[in-house]
Amino acid sequence: MSDENAVEARAARKIYGQGAGAVTALDGVSLLIRKGEFFTLLGPSGCGKTTLLKLIAGFESPTEGQILLDGTDITYDPPNRRPVNTVFQSYALFPHLTVADNIGFGLRMQGRPKREVADTVARMLALVRLEAMADRKPGQLSGGQQQRVALARALAPSPKVLLLDEPLSALDLQLRKEMQVELKRLQVETGITFVFVTHDQEEALTMSDRIGVMQAGRLLQVGDPRAIYTRPANRFVASFIGESNFLTGTRDGDTLALGAGPRLTATAMDGAPASGPVTAAIRPEQVRIVQGGGEGIPATVVRSVYFGTDTHAVVALTDGTEITVRMQSPASGDAGLAPGQEVRLTFEPGALIVLPEVA
Amino acid sequence: MSGDPQQAAAARRGWLLSAPALLLLAVGATGPLAIMLVYSFLEPGDYGNVEWALSFEAWFNVILNRDIFDGTLSFADAHLSIFWRSAKLALLTTLFAFVVGFPTAWFIATRNAGARTALLFLITIPFWTNLLIRTFAINQIIRNEGFLNTFLLWIGAIDQPIVMLYTDFAVFLGMTYVYLPLMVLPLFAAIDRFDMALLQAGYDLYASRWQILRHVIVPVVKPGIIAGSILVFIPALGAYVTPRILGGGRNMMIGNFIELQFGQGRNWPLGAALSVVLLVLVSAALIVYTRFATGGDKPHG
Ligand SMILES: Nc1ncnc2c1ncn2[C@@H]1O[C@H](COP(=O)(O)OP(=O)(O)OP(=O)(O)O)[C@@H](O)[C@H]1O
Ligand SMILES: [Mg+2]
Repeated sequence: MSDENAVEARAARKIYGQGAGAVTALDGVSLLIRKGEFFTLLGPSGCGKTTLLKLIAGFESPTEGQILLDGTDITYDPPNRRPVNTVFQSYALFPHLTVADNIGFGLRMQGRPKREVADTVARMLALVRLEAMADRKPGQLSGGQQQRVALARALAPSPKVLLLDEPLSALDLQLRKEMQVELKRLQVETGITFVFVTHDQEEALTMSDRIGVMQAGRLLQVGDPRAIYTRPANRFVASFIGESNFLTGTRDGDTLALGAGPRLTATAMDGAPASGPVTAAIRPEQVRIVQGGGEGIPATVVRSVYFGTDTHAVVALTDGTEITVRMQSPASGDAGLAPGQEVRLTFEPGALIVLPEVA
Repeated sequence: MSGDPQQAAAARRGWLLSAPALLLLAVGATGPLAIMLVYSFLEPGDYGNVEWALSFEAWFNVILNRDIFDGTLSFADAHLSIFWRSAKLALLTTLFAFVVGFPTAWFIATRNAGARTALLFLITIPFWTNLLIRTFAINQIIRNEGFLNTFLLWIGAIDQPIVMLYTDFAVFLGMTYVYLPLMVLPLFAAIDRFDMALLQAGYDLYASRWQILRHVIVPVVKPGIIAGSILVFIPALGAYVTPRILGGGRNMMIGNFIELQFGQGRNWPLGAALSVVLLVLVSAALIVYTRFATGGDKPHG
């Protein structure tokens, strides 16, 4: 088992400070990151993402628990003895060294032969397409170029794991999109395990092999992007990644009764209460509005907002629960939904899921 | 810009406005130098001052001695030993001020804002008192009946006072103490700008703590090291008060020797020539040092 895992955290806890001022940054995180995967840690600010990376990089040691690399306990190894490199959010390039010397820094510190350093640096420069910049100082580069130098510098010593702490957050949208593609390409080409931190859910969904969603020092759910999106483990995950409508009702087998109102077909997640009050979630784009009678759950249009490609409509069920519906705007741009209009709602089986938590 | 007559006029006015200051600076910087240079080629007057007659005697005397009786030439050992002592003490002072000043500056720069202001304030406090007073204070500490010897005698660590006053060591100690703030302040400014994330980056990239110091910290804060070293070395080389009070009459440095020529020695041309030599020494040291310091960071070298 251990030779499939690049990184393992075992019940890692991290408490900063002591006494009254103590902050629990990580509250017992256990995690397996597989070899060669693009793993993303996703969560709101302050949830402990950077702290988890620091434990893996060795800049902090856990208050409790263990960190393993390739099955070896490295919990108390210093950073310079871990085959793990970091791409810092601020890049932290050495201002006195040229691009080439920045990239070669790790190899030189390891005492590799000059020939090898020169070859690897040349290879890295080609990999990040900065051959022409080799002799410049970091101060003479654009943000995107600095970013690529930071990547090349961290990749040059061929670490077993590359840690990236919000590496794209300082870039503007255009550059950010380019670098997302670039990063993914680098990960595939080098085959190195990437642990990537972001609080941008779209970035996480598009780039990752698997995502770990964190909140308040806990790891809530780990899974591939589809699983995280279509089968969120709880209300937090369902609302943090994409948007969700939450319905509270009473579960009875495959049906969810909303008060005295409609009975809906719902798919239950593992661990959802078999009966009694529950919370269910459905994505806005999974709900369809049917106009002019027919099958479906009766609802009333509250308002509709035109967003260009999409039109968002808010409708109210008979019990008053409001639901957001996202649909493609028709060619005319007018979805023909007037406030007060009576409509019916349909969705595919499996779109409404009962969350494993009591309402 | 050249096409805009108004801007051109404004630029001209700017020059005109700063002209008096520039003139003053030019005269102030080169005037005394020119006088010294001219004096060094004249003959000494009987009661000080100079006789307006061309003579190279002063320049001879910088390094050579002419026997008063038979006129034979020999090396002026005394002069050379004074030059040597000055250079040695100034270098040692600079080096030691760096060794003590660097950790101090690092410590201050890594405190929080409040502590940092307080510590910087403490560093500048010695400037509030006269240099003479501070040097006499050192005198009080290291003389035979001074605090240090009394204390060491009292605890029984020694049974004879250690002779420190009027030695090269005393001069070195005094100068290090007096010039230390001049090292700490520029170092602090450089370390303050240093991005601490670079330490993590270095540590992450397999550098040991020693390698981080050598390959990251020192090269990045080098401008501060250069500035501090220059600020200490130059006044140390020409120091007058400290060697006078702590070195006594015999352990002279160039500054004291020059003063001697203008005072009791009544040999103004020699004093002037020595001053020019000091200037040349300092300039040469600066050129060599900055060349060496700015060219020395070739990682492949
Ligand atoms: N050195 C420290 N001392 C005390 N508390 C800390 C320290 N570092 C982090 N914390 C606290 O630990 C918690 C987790 O911090 P962490 O930096 O891991 O969050 P994050 O998920 O990376 O957030 P962000 O997205 O804002 O970077 C926060 O509450 C933070 O205030
Ligand atoms: Mg962070």
